[in-house]
Amino acid sequence: MSSRWKLPSFITRHVLYALVLGGVAGIGFMLFLIEFDHLTSSEAFCTTCHSMELAAESYRQSTHYNPVSGVRASCGDCHVSEGVFAATWDHFLGGKDLFSQIFGPDYDNPVVNVLHLPDAAFAARAWFKSKDSATCKRCHVLEAIQGKRTDTNAIHREETTGKSCIDCHINLVHRKVPDEKTFKRAQWHRMIEEEFGIEAGMANQLMAK
Amino acid sequence: MNLSLMRRLLCLALICCHPTLFAAKVTVDPNLWGDPLGKECISCHEKASPGLAQQWHKSAHAEAGVNCLDCHKTSVEDDDAITHEGQVIATIVSPLDCSRCHTVEYEQQKGSVHSEAATIIENRLPALAGHVGGDAIIAAGCDQCHGSKIKLRGDGTIDPSTWPNSGIGRINPDGSKGSCSSCHGKHRFSKAQAREPSACVRCHSGPDSPDKAIYEASKHGMQFQSHRDEMALSSDSWVAGKDYVAAPTCVTCHMGAAGKLKATHDVGMRNAWSLNTPISQKQQLVVFEDGDKLELPESHTSPKRGSELTKSDGSMGKVKAVASPKRRRQAMNLVCLECHSKSFAGSFMKQFDGVVKLFNEKFGKPAKSIMQALYSEGVLTPVPFDEPIEFTYWELWHDEGARARHGAAMASANHTWWEGMYLVGRNFYARFLPQVEMVAGKEMAKALIEEHVKSLDHHQWMDKPQKANPILGYDVTRQDNE
Repeated sequence: MSSRWKLPSFITRHVLYALVLGGVAGIGFMLFLIEFDHLTSSEAFCTTCHSMELAAESYRQSTHYNPVSGVRASCGDCHVSEGVFAATWDHFLGGKDLFSQIFGPDYDNPVVNVLHLPDAAFAARAWFKSKDSATCKRCHVLEAIQGKRTDTNAIHREETTGKSCIDCHINLVHRKVPDEKTFKRAQWHRMIEEEFGIEAGMANQLMAK
Repeated sequence: MNLSLMRRLLCLALICCHPTLFAAKVTVDPNLWGDPLGKECISCHEKASPGLAQQWHKSAHAEAGVNCLDCHKTSVEDDDAITHEGQVIATIVSPLDCSRCHTVEYEQQKGSVHSEAATIIENRLPALAGHVGGDAIIAAGCDQCHGSKIKLRGDGTIDPSTWPNSGIGRINPDGSKGSCSSCHGKHRFSKAQAREPSACVRCHSGPDSPDKAIYEASKHGMQFQSHRDEMALSSDSWVAGKDYVAAPTCVTCHMGAAGKLKATHDVGMRNAWSLNTPISQKQQLVVFEDGDKLELPESHTSPKRGSELTKSDGSMGKVKAVASPKRRRQAMNLVCLECHSKSFAGSFMKQFDGVVKLFNEKFGKPAKSIMQALYSEGVLTPVPFDEPIEFTYWELWHDEGARARHGAAMASANHTWWEGMYLVGRNFYARFLPQVEMVAGKEMAKALIEEHVKSLDHHQWMDKPQKANPILGYDVTRQDNE
């Protein structure tokens, strides 16, 4: 009997210790990643940067923050992919935001922030598109969309072939930014200058910094 | 052929140069509409906005294969371009957009009193709507008829203080002026609907343009009500005297084809008088080479064809043609003649002109002169509407005075007198003149009234206090008079 269950000769006692320790460490690392992704996807974590607090202002006015159902989507629910590896990768890529926050323009300044907002919006939309709006579909199931009007269901059943959520549903949560195709930066700058009561041409200067 | 005959022929050509059909036949190559991408809008909009999709389905546009994108498409460079379901479109369809097919109508309405409706009141708006009313009134009141100046925001949205708006003189993002949907309810664009008086009364009702009430009280309105089913309102060809004879509507006289007279989308072309001014003036219509137009008082020398003239926007333009008040009246008369004799129509116009001249001479001119004197003497502050007399004067010509003149123009006896000139008279004698004395003091008021009022024959009765009449119950001297 003992010969039948005998470990191969290269599994020495030390190897066995290493395997057990490695396994435990691996499980621990995975658990760490899961917790890490969970923590870093939260609104509380994201808004530790003041610039993100500015993005959260509009979010807190949106139906994704205050739905009648009480199901609140947090930053990461939309902006971080599902699955521990994908989520970790997204957070890794998101590290560039932290880099920009420290070394880039003064995003904490509301004017600078909103001047850069269109570029952020375009990048976010491209990301959603590339994922086929995967994070939307975490909660929203096409077949189950009823809407308040009778035709909302029919539209989602019959008019969505070849389309992704983000193709139609932009400007849901954050401040409205036009589609990239028709976006006109000069007009955007003028609007922001008027809104903040700053001198004409200041927007260009701020963007050049 | 002498010069004056040539000019007269030119004017006649100007008035009559439009196709017989009210809506000119579209001559654009049908391959240029029916954008295949536009067909994709329909199935979704039948669900998302079933009301307007149904209206479109019932329209002549749908019948001809003109779809959403044909009217709404635009290029990315346009200020009001937005992306919608992958297409670049504009919410606002301007007259310039409509002119892709409806060129004739666009050219006619360009520069007309309708398309200039916002520009015309631009200077007055801050004082009246701004001071007496407020910004909310400008957006929801004034601009809904006169038209807003569309303001686009940097985020692609339209400033809600300027949109929604289908005011007839709307200043569009592409620079064109007007809104076809002001009369032609969008998305159905029904001929019949636009020919109905109700197409006009959204704006032509109320104190300064009480045309709804006047028309309804007139024989014309009465006949229309009774014989509406004989009006051929949906007919392709809609020539008064040929396709219908039951009654004229607003469109018939001001725009419609009648006998030899061609239809036009220049609504003011047949108006010999200005009726909504402190003093009415006969006006000549100047048409420039580029299609712009200008109303000039008759007293102004008639500009020569080819000469340069300052346009209403301050730029210079080359004169293409001039229609004298006489010619404009002749055009209007041509409509009358489809049902009335020459002498009948001519005598009616004499009665109308008489009322306008009476208003001018008896009330309009004296009141204006007195107001000018009060301003120049510093009795009144320059800001309008901070003194009661300013409201009195405004209503004298703008409300009651307009009602009297419009009433006479469209044959409503009640609006000419009781709702019109009677109120002008009451305002003048019982409010305006006493208020002059209140603000200017006895001495100055006396001098002003002597100079501007009592010097006129119209007001001589004021100096005959003993000339009694039983109308108010004064019976003693009545015996003497009889």
